[in-house]
Amino acid sequence: MRSLFVWKITLSTLTLYTCLIWLVAVKSSALSGTRLIACDVGQGDAFLIIDGSAQILIDGGPNNKVTDCLSRYVPFWDRKLELVILTHPEADHFTGLIDVFKRYRVETFLGNGLKNSTQSYQVLEDLVRREGSQTLFPNTVNHLRIGLIYLDLLWPTSDHLSTHTDISNGYNNFSLVFTLKRGDFKALFTGDIEPEISSQIPRLSDVDVLKIPHHGSKNGLTEELLNATTPEKAIISVGKNQWGHPHLEVLKMLEDANVEIHRTDLEGDIILDLD
Amino acid sequence: MSTKPIKTSFPFTESQFFFWTLIIFIIIFRFYQTQPTYHLTNIIRISGYVRSEPIRYDTAQSVKLAGLKAYLPRYPEIDYGDFIVIEGAVGEKGKLLKPVLINHQTSTNFLYQTRKQIINEYRQILPEPHSSLVVGVVLGAKSSIPEDFWQALKKTGTAHVVVASGMNVTLVAGFLMNFLVTIINRKKAIIFALLGIWLYTMLSGFDAPLVRAAIMGSIAFSAQGLGKLYSAWRALFLSAALMLIFTPSWLTDLGFILSFLATASLMLFESKINRLISFIPNPFREGLATSLAAQIGVAPILYLTFGQLSILSPLINALILWTIPLITIIGGVGAIASLIHPVLSLPFIYAVYPLTSWFIFVVEFFS
Repeated sequence: MRSLFVWKITLSTLTLYTCLIWLVAVKSSALSGTRLIACDVGQGDAFLIIDGSAQILIDGGPNNKVTDCLSRYVPFWDRKLELVILTHPEADHFTGLIDVFKRYRVETFLGNGLKNSTQSYQVLEDLVRREGSQTLFPNTVNHLRIGLIYLDLLWPTSDHLSTHTDISNGYNNFSLVFTLKRGDFKALFTGDIEPEISSQIPRLSDVDVLKIPHHGSKNGLTEELLNATTPEKAIISVGKNQWGHPHLEVLKMLEDANVEIHRTDLEGDIILDLD
Repeated sequence: MSTKPIKTSFPFTESQFFFWTLIIFIIIFRFYQTQPTYHLTNIIRISGYVRSEPIRYDTAQSVKLAGLKAYLPRYPEIDYGDFIVIEGAVGEKGKLLKPVLINHQTSTNFLYQTRKQIINEYRQILPEPHSSLVVGVVLGAKSSIPEDFWQALKKTGTAHVVVASGMNVTLVAGFLMNFLVTIINRKKAIIFALLGIWLYTMLSGFDAPLVRAAIMGSIAFSAQGLGKLYSAWRALFLSAALMLIFTPSWLTDLGFILSFLATASLMLFESKINRLISFIPNPFREGLATSLAAQIGVAPILYLTFGQLSILSPLINALILWTIPLITIIGGVGAIASLIHPVLSLPFIYAVYPLTSWFIFVVEFFS
């Protein structure tokens, strides 16, 4: 009787671990490689860049859908994100990061240095502090390397930060703007910057992928920015919203320039293989 | 329960009839006596401990306090057991309009802390929806389940596994008894098992189905310990009566109603159905018999309340129910291990992963 019980437990343990090993094998082959993923988080931004076992998360979206996205593309045994970037502290960009910080270990956190006075942002700040991640801001760093991925911070410049302290018009124009390079691939991330800033961003250059600023609002992309970056593909992270994003003007501008448009509201998660 | 009911007929003699009528009158009296009365549009400030698990939505969470329901911003997250002060206007249907969170103190109570620590441990080791599924199955904590997955569970008629259910209590009781009788004598084992049941019920948040199962379990175990006859039907009605006398508002609680109907249906039909479908191999047969039997009582209520009924539900349940005892026990042992040291819980939590993978695969396939 007793030996039967022991036998049963041993057998089920072995079965479970065999299944586990198979799952690990299947997942690791399916999830390897280098990819840029625009998570479908509704009206907001959340981008995941995966390079081997390193992950970079750019913004967290307006809800905790980003954790589902992470579960889909990050193997289940990897619970560490190498870098989390918050382009600017607005609810549709930071809210999802609260759950990310609760669930994942975050090695480095890069923000734009501004604070939001809402209760939810304070929750995030507390979590970042408790996590003990290395915390970086644009005036302390302008290049970053994570594995084979290089980040070049273009905006906000320390000049802009020291001369503009008024945040009553919102955080959009303080959004972190940066290029992300891996091998020959190059992408520009633009947060929610508005037209008057696009012309001031220094060192813009040709890229493969452009993250369209401000969820495709006409108060975002400009001809100037498009001409300076000449992307092949454009990603618009957008969901159901009351402002009519993405605006037709922006879509037309991209069509006229023969840019391939990818929208999260139409395609769900957008996955670009960078290998 | 590990004790089989000895008689399953209704226990009505004249004196018993009098006893039950009296109980019903007390319940009705208590129900009207404890209904809170609020005047509409009054601005009020209410404070108290959160006694049921808040429900979390995309950008909001709904909290019940003093008979009123308030929709607060999603963060800071309010947990079961926390002390809060909210202000707002009383609206219709017991809603608190324009609520503002004035004060929020997270609970320092040992049990609530432990619960939170266990939930966090799972969230940090397993990805979604695996972690929510385990936490839901083990502790009945459904508040963090991703919206999409919750919809899929509802659609496939499997949401019952992640809400606190009597089955959990039965599993805990069974596991404790089997384990304890190997080290101490039966009478002592019963006392510890009883303690374990109530500790678990508290840890899981005192939801109606758990309390129902805990009371029934206690009656069964006590009867066994004292060598008395045990009638499952009497235990069922007695637990209902006790619960309604103490918390009359449960009378309109869907979880309470479903729990009693499901239990009654199981007692009436499960073994008969099991015999009818004896051609189906286990472990699927037991799952199918259980879910078909429970459906008989539960389906009409679900249809009346939600207007939807999944015809495939018994089939889907048959495919997944066998994983639930395993997830509960392995996950529960992992939870206890994590309290000693997080590293100790890893082998258990990873052992659960293949099971939750199967569960999630089935649910997503059919939704």
